[in-house]
Amino acid sequence: MRKVLISDPTLRDGNHAVQHKLNLAQVAAYARAADNAGIPIVEVGHGNGLAASSLQVGLSAVSDRDMLTTARENLLQSKLSIHVMPGFATIKRDLSLAIDIGVDVVRVACHCSEADITQRHIAYVRERGKQVFGVLMMTHMLTKEQLAEESLKMESYGAEAIMLMDSAGALLPTDVAERVRTLVQALHIPVGFHAHNNLGMAVANSITALESGAAILDGTARGFGAGAGNTQLEVLVAVLNKMGYETGIDLYKMLDAADLAERELMPSIPTIKSISIVSGLAGVFSGFAKHVDRVSLQFHVDPRDVFFELGRRRVVAGQEDLIIEVASAMASRQAKPLEVVR
Amino acid sequence: MSTSVIDALQNDCAGSAGADIRDLLPLRGAHILITGGTGFVGTWVAQMVAYLNDCHQFGIKLTLLSPHASEFSSRAPHLACRADVRLFDGDVRNLADLPQESEWVIHAAGSPDSRIHFSNPVRTMETIVSGTQAVLNAASRLTPLQRILSLSSGLVYGPQRWEDAPLSEKVFSGFDCANPAGLYAESKRAAEMVAAAYRSQFGLPVLSARLFAFIGPFQLLDRPWAINNFLRDALRGGPIRVQGNGETVRSYMYGSDLAYWLLRLLVSGKIGAAYNVGSPVGISLKDLAVKIAECFPRRPSIDLNTLPAAGIPRTQWLPDITMARTDCDLRVQTNLDQAITRTVAWHTRQ
Repeated sequence: MRKVLISDPTLRDGNHAVQHKLNLAQVAAYARAADNAGIPIVEVGHGNGLAASSLQVGLSAVSDRDMLTTARENLLQSKLSIHVMPGFATIKRDLSLAIDIGVDVVRVACHCSEADITQRHIAYVRERGKQVFGVLMMTHMLTKEQLAEESLKMESYGAEAIMLMDSAGALLPTDVAERVRTLVQALHIPVGFHAHNNLGMAVANSITALESGAAILDGTARGFGAGAGNTQLEVLVAVLNKMGYETGIDLYKMLDAADLAERELMPSIPTIKSISIVSGLAGVFSGFAKHVDRVSLQFHVDPRDVFFELGRRRVVAGQEDLIIEVASAMASRQAKPLEVVR
Repeated sequence: MSTSVIDALQNDCAGSAGADIRDLLPLRGAHILITGGTGFVGTWVAQMVAYLNDCHQFGIKLTLLSPHASEFSSRAPHLACRADVRLFDGDVRNLADLPQESEWVIHAAGSPDSRIHFSNPVRTMETIVSGTQAVLNAASRLTPLQRILSLSSGLVYGPQRWEDAPLSEKVFSGFDCANPAGLYAESKRAAEMVAAAYRSQFGLPVLSARLFAFIGPFQLLDRPWAINNFLRDALRGGPIRVQGNGETVRSYMYGSDLAYWLLRLLVSGKIGAAYNVGSPVGISLKDLAVKIAECFPRRPSIDLNTLPAAGIPRTQWLPDITMARTDCDLRVQTNLDQAITRTVAWHTRQ
């Protein structure tokens, strides 16, 4: 029976869906349930990862230290994982502390064309003897060959697996298959896939990734994640069971964990809203949705137009400031021209 | 560095050189220059020269050229302070001249660190190809020049499949030359061709050595190779983490053997030839981890299959060293057990 490693970022990607306001009781409750279900890796943190709490992308309700400590106390079997973007997290101040708290897996992430910036962070995690994955985000923006080159950089820095993230939920199964196959062929380390559900493809894309050679899959309870959410983990586990894959996860307890997540973590279950479909089509990071909605309302412009313009500009996470610029420019163009007095 | 550590390094060199060092006599009183001289290779050659000078009165003068020359005093203080070792700051990419007294040249510039190759492929290629040309240009103006040994890589042959025989000097499979993953190997191939061109057109006395994998003191443990990582994990108390099932096979030559082989090839190798330099004795990474763990009183645990791997083929990388044995009577003197024990002892005492 072929094994697949499941990683669960409910308590990290899900934080996007609640403006990073998950509290410690929620972290403790879901961590316990995930641990009880036998989920191998549980990722915790601000939606944008370690040390990302900021006015620009949103302030966390609780500190990284408290969140990780709480998760650590409640994860007895599962590994504790964090998402780390070198632009936010420093080695000395943040990463060192997280490892001291007891993080087992560090997923060092960057925009898909920027692997160079991950070298020092990856090296540091290896020096500390922890497991480190390289994560390429927004992977719809590069060709499969370019992704392979960026992945090779991360492999050379010491990454022990490469995760491809479809951050905008923009990929179709054929896109996923060709990307994963190319990486599996180019690398000597396992490849993983993290989906978003903007176009309703998350489970299908995850299975396609697996069938194309991926060995690691991400999924979140009820799909709790940015925008239209992620691959719905309890569905994924059920499908994998049916297909004969070994996950090590107890299905009933997984279903219980998902019920708990719905009850305790989510003001509303992620659905594919119209704006998420547009975000997927435009190829813009799902985490932009709430900002685009808010800014579009403020400037009286159609958020769908804002998304397509952002997509045309190829914006990436961290460029949320551009939403205002785009909406403002649209509002100016839509304003009624002044009558010329003759 | 303590006297006992320095003595151990001298003993290593004595063991690799053996009792009869007549084959190295052409180097007596000579001036040797090493480009890229402060890396693992240059440091070990300097260690061997120190042994020859101290124990056999060779009187060799050694110049180490490197862009990191100033760091050598912290890496190998016992060598940096010697009167017979001169450090020279410089980058082969911008080289105009070499010290005029240089008679024997070992061209070792160009890091094998794959992190640099992937992050900075243009600089990597410049250093290896343009750097080699700059060194050969400068060397061609040296009046007392005897020979140049240009260091290449065992990677030039292309990937070795599991079922392939150990790589001999004439078997090439090649890389996809549009894929940067092959950049280091292709650059080394090109550098060998540059050397062949200078030999053919200008009669420059140059030969090449194709290096495989090595172990020993002076090895930096943050480098991206399995043996470095295993040692680092073990020195930290473990566990030693092995990616995949550990069936990948590599071979490792000890640093003092490497240094002796290079000096012998410099003196006795055939001009125009390229020699494999490495150990022909393969070991799986799983067994390597066990051997390293056994060196510690509190044996670190070994984690195999830390992640599921789908479709990752097992590989090997082993040299056939018949040519070095036939032409220069070179043999591996330090077996892997000794090499690991000595390396662990060195790191423990550092």
